[in-house]
Amino acid sequence: MALFDGKFYDFYTHPAPGNGVALMAAVAKKYGYSGIAVTNPTANDQDIVDIADKTGDFSIFQVFEIPAKRAKLRDEIKKHKEDAGILIVKGADEYLTREAVETEGLDILLQPQKFNNVLAKIASDNSVTLGFNIGSIIHTRGEARVRELVLMRANLKHARKYGIQMILTCDSHSHYDIRSPREMAALSGLIGMTEKEAFDAMSTTPLGILRKKSPDYVQEGIEIL
Amino acid sequence: MKTLPTLRDKKRYMAFEVMSEQVISRAELSHEIFASACSLFGDTGCSDINFSLLSYDGKYGIVRCVRGKTKEMRAALACITKVRGTRISILAVGISGTIKGAMEKFIQQTLINKSEPDKEYK
Repeated sequence: MALFDGKFYDFYTHPAPGNGVALMAAVAKKYGYSGIAVTNPTANDQDIVDIADKTGDFSIFQVFEIPAKRAKLRDEIKKHKEDAGILIVKGADEYLTREAVETEGLDILLQPQKFNNVLAKIASDNSVTLGFNIGSIIHTRGEARVRELVLMRANLKHARKYGIQMILTCDSHSHYDIRSPREMAALSGLIGMTEKEAFDAMSTTPLGILRKKSPDYVQEGIEIL
Repeated sequence: MKTLPTLRDKKRYMAFEVMSEQVISRAELSHEIFASACSLFGDTGCSDINFSLLSYDGKYGIVRCVRGKTKEMRAALACITKVRGTRISILAVGISGTIKGAMEKFIQQTLINKSEPDKEYK
């Protein structure tokens, strides 16, 4: 399947302190990823991120997860907007989700619990990517998993209708939690995602976000020659 | 009495690699695959996939399923996270139409590639 020969990225990992980043990067590389993003890296993790930048073989990026707290959300997004790291807000209630998608500069809204047509329209207008946490399918069983699947199906419908970019992540906390791109595509098939959509969610969309975050980027449609 | 060859289901053989904290026995893995698939697809879904664990040596193994249900099989393997409290991750290495193909192309080839010095991540 030539579809799975591209570059794949996982933008939401939580490696353990110590050698967690290096171990996770090694396993991710073995599984066929071209890069991972470490969520809120510590000072020690930062060194590894810098080393990876220099080697160029496998990329490690930084992700800032903005805590979904009512008072600070907008300010925090504005504060980190100009940073090189990718901004993620984990979806909470409807009010906070609305505040997140309305604020310019947010990159990814991960698994919103309450998502509707109004929020989807705003997210589409502000080029916010919708994240699907495949880890929630892997790590839950029974009723909890059913709820997650229902939620993800609804989110997928909104994303398709309003043309929102999608991203897949396995929310890994250790190297045992990482799943290869083909496995991720198979799991996303459970919520009705096609293979092409899954490929775009792991390859095309992350590359687009990285391009947007690069220093050369000016605005959508404008390129410096 | 045997099923007529024309009435037999077409099968696919999926080679997989297990990464775990401790070595997992064949019985434990077989039970866990069944539990995972049953939890994900239910009894009727499992009967559609019609899977069985053919071989497993503690690291590599082969599982058989019906042709056209390999995606479901892959998803069921990916959902396994723990066996007897031991963390585990299963990677489907490849799919073949014969056991020999799965063994030669994916398991032996992986072992050959591993024996060669590999650049490690720094």
